Amino acid sequence: MGRQMSSRAMKLMAVISILALVAACTGATTDTTEAPGGTEAPGGTEAPGTTEATEGTDAPGTTQAGDGDVSNPGLYVHAADDEPLSVDPAQVAAGEAGETVILQVYERLVEIGPGGPDLIPAISTEVPTVDNGLISEDGLTYTFPIREGVTFHDGSELTADVVKFSWDRALEMDLPEGNAGFLGDQIASTEVDGNNFVVTLNERNAAFLNSIVTSAVASIVSQEAVEANGGVEAGTPNDFMASNMVGTGPYTLAAWNRGENIQLEVFEDYWGDPASLDVRIDQVADTDVRALGLQAGDYDSIETDPTFIGDLEGAEGLEIFSGDFLLEPVHMGMNMNIPEGALPPEDTIPVDFFHDVNVRRGFNLAFDYQAFVDGAMAGLGGPIPHYLPQGMLGYDESLPTYERDLAAAEEAFREAGYWDEGFTMTVLAEEGGIFEIAGLVLADSMTELNPAFQIRVLAVVEAQFDDAHAQDPFQYAAWIKNADPFADPAALFDAYIHPDGEWGSVHGFREAYADPDQIASLVDEAAVELDQDRRAEIYQELATILYDDPVWLIPGNERALMAHRSWVQNFDMNPLWPRPSLKFQYFDK
Amino acid sequence: MQIREYLLRRLMIFPLIIVGTSIIVFGLSRVGGNPVAIYLEHEMSPAEVAELEERYGLDEPLPLQYLAWARGVLTGDMGWSGVSAQPVTEALVNRMGATLELAIFSAIVAISLGIGLGTFGGARRNRWPDHLTRVFSISGASMPIFWFAILLLILFWVNLGWFSTGRSEPTIFSSIAHPTGVYTFDALLAGNFRALLDALHHLVLPAATLGFGATAIIARMMRSSLVEELSEDYVDAARAKGLPERLVLRRHARRNALIPTVTVIGLGFGFLLQGTVVVEIIFRWPGLGRWMADAVLRGDQATIMAYVLFTSVLFLTVNLVVDIMYAYLDRRVVLGA
Amino acid sequence: MVDVLAPETATVRVDGPWTVRLRRLADVSKQVLSNPTTLVGLVIIIALLSLTVLAPVLTEPNFPNPYQMPRDWGVRDAPPGTPGHILGTTSTGGDVFYGVVWGARTSLRLSLIVVGVTVTVGTIVGSLAGFIGGKLDEILMRTVDVLLAIPELIFALAIAAVLGPSFGNIIFALSVVFWVKYARIIRGQIIHVKQNEYVDAARITGDSKLNIYRRDVLPNSVTPVMVQATLDMGGIVLTAATLSFIGLAEAGLVEWGVLVSDGQAGISAGKWWASTFPGLMVFLWALAFNLVGDGMRDVLDPRTEGR
Repeated sequence: MGRQMSSRAMKLMAVISILALVAACTGATTDTTEAPGGTEAPGGTEAPGTTEATEGTDAPGTTQAGDGDVSNPGLYVHAADDEPLSVDPAQVAAGEAGETVILQVYERLVEIGPGGPDLIPAISTEVPTVDNGLISEDGLTYTFPIREGVTFHDGSELTADVVKFSWDRALEMDLPEGNAGFLGDQIASTEVDGNNFVVTLNERNAAFLNSIVTSAVASIVSQEAVEANGGVEAGTPNDFMASNMVGTGPYTLAAWNRGENIQLEVFEDYWGDPASLDVRIDQVADTDVRALGLQAGDYDSIETDPTFIGDLEGAEGLEIFSGDFLLEPVHMGMNMNIPEGALPPEDTIPVDFFHDVNVRRGFNLAFDYQAFVDGAMAGLGGPIPHYLPQGMLGYDESLPTYERDLAAAEEAFREAGYWDEGFTMTVLAEEGGIFEIAGLVLADSMTELNPAFQIRVLAVVEAQFDDAHAQDPFQYAAWIKNADPFADPAALFDAYIHPDGEWGSVHGFREAYADPDQIASLVDEAAVELDQDRRAEIYQELATILYDDPVWLIPGNERALMAHRSWVQNFDMNPLWPRPSLKFQYFDK
Repeated sequence: MQIREYLLRRLMIFPLIIVGTSIIVFGLSRVGGNPVAIYLEHEMSPAEVAELEERYGLDEPLPLQYLAWARGVLTGDMGWSGVSAQPVTEALVNRMGATLELAIFSAIVAISLGIGLGTFGGARRNRWPDHLTRVFSISGASMPIFWFAILLLILFWVNLGWFSTGRSEPTIFSSIAHPTGVYTFDALLAGNFRALLDALHHLVLPAATLGFGATAIIARMMRSSLVEELSEDYVDAARAKGLPERLVLRRHARRNALIPTVTVIGLGFGFLLQGTVVVEIIFRWPGLGRWMADAVLRGDQATIMAYVLFTSVLFLTVNLVVDIMYAYLDRRVVLGA
Repeated sequence: MVDVLAPETATVRVDGPWTVRLRRLADVSKQVLSNPTTLVGLVIIIALLSLTVLAPVLTEPNFPNPYQMPRDWGVRDAPPGTPGHILGTTSTGGDVFYGVVWGARTSLRLSLIVVGVTVTVGTIVGSLAGFIGGKLDEILMRTVDVLLAIPELIFALAIAAVLGPSFGNIIFALSVVFWVKYARIIRGQIIHVKQNEYVDAARITGDSKLNIYRRDVLPNSVTPVMVQATLDMGGIVLTAATLSFIGLAEAGLVEWGVLVSDGQAGISAGKWWASTFPGLMVFLWALAFNLVGDGMRDVLDPRTEGR
């Protein structure tokens, strides 16, 4: 009897599985004949402002990438590589996946406009300038006239008081993983004056609007929603706000299925032009799968790494958007502050290796920029001067830029005394992207210059890199990553050039610069100068000094890149972080 | 009697092995990184960190640290999962359904394919069909899953458009509730046929990929047991009675050959579990495997620990159940014979 | 990837003088080779091994480290047949043919080291447990049970994640994971021999334990260890490739898994060669060793022996 049972059980299992397969296959056929567009089947009617309502109402979700046939009409699907940890503006760190969503659902006083770094009014009806009187003569007080008739997604009304509440909230919570520190360091007071929101700064800051007011942490949140859900508690994240969003933006957060997708719906009562398409952001960890999904037509755009752009070029129905240069050049940090005994056993360099300007120049002269730009960036990038990316205030194409010059590199290394004996150096990078490739190009460049110059590329997973990167003192001779994106050179120079700035102190720039005090005073002067022409001049002067006395190697600068279906219209992105700057509200298809 | 003793012993050792596994998992977490990291819900001030260190006895000697951690695990406190921004236990429960569903359907593929191929080969022992089925089933076990899966996606997703990735069509997903997290079951509970089809449709490719990999174990065992059964006296007797070969095979030999095949199901399950790490990445399956892969890349110790521990306990349990099942079936065979 | 084809109780008793054993071994070999699938596997293995031997002749070794991929940044994404790049190049200008050929060496190096380490460690632990017995046996075998409870790939992944990505660390992680089965096999053999009467006979004649070990235990353990080692040769390369795919590979290493995952995005845009060839190599490598291991076990497994 037992035998029969077992046999039957097995048979049953076999039958079930076959049925499952068959059912699934029929599922496939019904799926492709019906319209799994589901709720959006009526399609065009839902998309205001479009004239193509007749098109593609029966286009199935998993259809092949046809010509002209748009899949998922009325819905924009973006494949992201990363999922937000939090969608609370007070909790999200710069560049994190949460920013993407925050920038769509919440709004800020002023925004970076479509197509460039210029500011446009948002919650504030005007962009403050000295000329329009909204920035005080001393450069310390900013006045933002608050837009009237704006409602939050929960129906509550936006007022100057709510704006003040939002800013004060981020300041009070002051979460270390968020960016409130940014605000806190700068702001002396926030006040409400009638319908105006007035901010007073501790000291003049030329980059206040560009890099602080437009950042995610400065988003305006619904006071009602916060107060009904835990209120504001210093140092403690708000669980409700970490996974719910009540903003004023063109999109509302409709659903967040962790590990699968985030769904945004068009906010019909938006004060400006309402968006055309609902948005779904799918979590797709694997690069290849994103590329395949784009080709299958299931995704309208995908998180794009320049290393596989070359693989997508020429595929049917796709376009590669290549915009302005990102304001986050890839750079190699050179450590002038190596602790004794910290280097890996393979390394033969002395701890004061990079103290010698000839070594730093030698690296800059030896690097094969062309190979990096063509190889890792598919040609969609370019070299930049030290340290002004194209698109940044002060950039000028006549500024001196490093090019590969093996003879000059040899001379520099001979001068430094390393030519004959050679060296081995380990450079730390994150695995699997342009940083690892920059390391490999460096290794090839140096070996080509002199076979006795050995570069070991230690490509580690993101977490290990981040841990090592955050250590002070830094434990390796060199590392490769991109700069944090800053819209204004003041922040950039403070972090990456100033001898006492963030990296200046970690890497010991004072040990390197020929005249550290001169560089310090120029950087400080430019930071508080409100005359933009004069600022640009100072940065250009710095760029010239830094060419002779470099503390970074800058392999190249990426362009804002995104692969998308050809049917996406008005595609645009900003040269800050590539991810959050997708302005879904302007897109159509 | 012997079997009962054996099972009793197995049952007694079971908790011991789980404790052993937990010690290894704990040990791994102390090799790399700061142990307090597994409890950090967000970046915390030094005072808060000190408070956590106190609470979990992290300034105590290692054995006490282990006890504090183990007590936490037993009460459902496995720390904070950085990759899912949730307590580990919550994330584990949320993602379990996806992985179990995938594993079960892959097991169905592996078992039915394995039994089919094994029977087919065993009945044609050492002839060409036998050799071919053997190469076919071993191919499954030799295929780099990440390579094979991408090839399948290129064919069935990009070129044919028959299947896509993920667990469900989002619009269909939102049309029913998901109390269990096993979508096919949820669809049955809701009585929604369309949702059931959708869930099955999304299962086809990942379950086929994973199941194909585990087929060889079962096919091999099925084939050799069948070969053995076919040489038994009762088979000869049945043949002598003039029973057609097809019936001999189906009514007698195959039935008995199935029983030893049960023993390797546990082994196959281990293969399926580890395969989910890769399959879930590629097919965008929001289960435990992808959770682990994310955690490895982000250095999320709490998640890695929980995943390894959970997987091992699951693997051990399945093996125990299989053994008990086999002992039961085997006894019946002996009695029935 | 795992020992899905692991021997349960693969044993062939070889007793008596060496001449008899040799003759028996010859019989077994003949039987093993009589199976065409095993033969196919063996031919593939021989081809792969020739590839590793001939590597420096087939392509000029990259200087100074031949296990680093040579890159020609000027010739990227070249299709197969390009002069100088017979199988084409990758998106970073790596020569696919070089990767295929030297990748075989990497695989051989990796699997031989890991098998060597694991067989040695397994033999020592298994022998200690089997011979000394008692509490030590209990402790060692429970440890083995515990290690077997964690699926191999997952255990290796967890270890490699802690250690960081380098070839040495992958070898270490795989060694920690793979030795366990050998300890079990060796211990099983010793227990089995211990229970046999001829050991009692040997004891009466005053043979030392060491002699018994050398004469009866080791030769009897050779076949099951060989079967397991053959299967592991494939499994190790497959597991290492999977670790590379997840992101734990050494930068620039000539390794098939790295090449596959780097080249995959290009397949559907027509650039199929960068991942297809190395993927095929991993597959062939694992398939060949699995076929031969499977065939060996068929013959050596008492269950089907002689039929």
